[in-house]
Amino acid sequence: MAKSLFEKAIDWGRRKSPWIIHFNAGACNGCDIEVVDAITPRFDVERFGLMLKGTPRHADVLVCTGAVTLQTRDRLKRIYEQMPDPKFVIAVGTCACSGGIFDGCYCVAGGIDAVIPVNVYVPGCAARPEAIIDAVVKLLTALENMQKGTPAAPVDDNVADVSALEEIENAVTEASAAAVHSDNQPADSATTGSQGGEE
Amino acid sequence: MVALFNILIFPGFLFLGIYALLFEYLDRIIYARLQNRMGPPWFQPLADFLKLIGKEAVIPAAADKHVFPALPVVALAAVTTAFLYVPIWSGSSLLPFSGDLIVVLYLLTIPTLTFFLAGWYSTSVYATVGSMRALTQLFSYEVPLFMALLSPALLADTWSISGISQFYGAHPLYILINIPAFVVAIVACQGKLERVPFDLPEAETEIVSGTFVEYSGRFYAVFKMAINCELVVVAAIVSAFFLPFYTANPFIGFLLFIVKTVIILFILAVFRSVMARIRIEQMVKFCWKYLTPLAILQIIINILLKGVLPL
Repeated sequence: MAKSLFEKAIDWGRRKSPWIIHFNAGACNGCDIEVVDAITPRFDVERFGLMLKGTPRHADVLVCTGAVTLQTRDRLKRIYEQMPDPKFVIAVGTCACSGGIFDGCYCVAGGIDAVIPVNVYVPGCAARPEAIIDAVVKLLTALENMQKGTPAAPVDDNVADVSALEEIENAVTEASAAAVHSDNQPADSATTGSQGGEE
Repeated sequence: MVALFNILIFPGFLFLGIYALLFEYLDRIIYARLQNRMGPPWFQPLADFLKLIGKEAVIPAAADKHVFPALPVVALAAVTTAFLYVPIWSGSSLLPFSGDLIVVLYLLTIPTLTFFLAGWYSTSVYATVGSMRALTQLFSYEVPLFMALLSPALLADTWSISGISQFYGAHPLYILINIPAFVVAIVACQGKLERVPFDLPEAETEIVSGTFVEYSGRFYAVFKMAINCELVVVAAIVSAFFLPFYTANPFIGFLLFIVKTVIILFILAVFRSVMARIRIEQMVKFCWKYLTPLAILQIIINILLKGVLPL
């Protein structure tokens, strides 16, 4: 289905002007500080047309942090429903992606996607500002692919992420094994003391 | 046919719209550069406008079904009409008549009233607070602004913007007399435009977006366009009063118009970057205690000089 020039212009406008609203669904404030950090003059996200808006009526992208607590669940739903279509959701931080260390807690409903649909996940505790900006750019690229009807290109970043995660996991297991090993060894007290402190 | 062209294309609707988008870009890029960052690309206001046009426009269930969508259009219409009485390419405007100064000042009050009604008919708590602030602010800056624009008119002995512009064009040194009025007008028009020291009606950090809380999609796009057009019209009026340099050549005169309005915009953008928002009662106090006496002083000076100067 061919699009008219007007529709194409609106599509272009949508890609070039993502206005965000930030909502804390129960985060520890770590990710919120990083979200605020991402919109400081140092990163200058206005280059992408990105602006922080106060009201959901003006916003296109809901940037959401934290595991959803039972107290904020209805508020999150309401804010999402107050946003006019088309709207997108970015879950920032490990807790927002999956519930994180609060998953299964008596007062936690789960990650953001337990309540509203999520378009982009940004893992990290706390997620870095660069990662948040990258998530917005990825969202806009995906939007462009969707508008032009081209299938989304296979994202190599995911593969890289997995291998990086494996590396980190290996490093962690090696380190803990070494720590256990050194604990068992009757080595001199200074090194064991410092390693115990690091643990 | 010529009238239709004038209203819709050149000094009217289309030109004003494009110039307003350019003005928003310049405003944002000056703001960004003063904060030591790159700022948005040149097409940013256009992209914002197109996106808002394409978005869903929500009318809240509690809002009035007819007044709520009509208000942005009224604001835009009032501002666009006011632009027809402002000199652009020469010392004379398109349709000058005696007393158009008063008409323009009242036409520029209509957007503020629509902001108040927009907040009121949204029935949102934040919007109501914002609309109350818009009216309180109106009663503070309107008096000094009117006085600051009427005192040059006293000296020129005419109530027409074109006549005032031509008078000061013929006597350029008399501009120096009106410097206090210029200061008052620059400060007061920031209240009219709801820009940073006086952006209380839409204070984002306190009352989310004030009067525009419930406005979305194309309604908000038209409101934004009306605000940008108002910025152009106010800059054009202030430049016609206090920077009345023009030539007989319409092309050079048009370039001069752009230079003059951009100078006014630059002053406003610098104010926006270096100032913080003040509280509403500080705003009222400042306007009545300092701006209004200064404007009255200007009027007294002009009345006295009118008897002395060879006019």
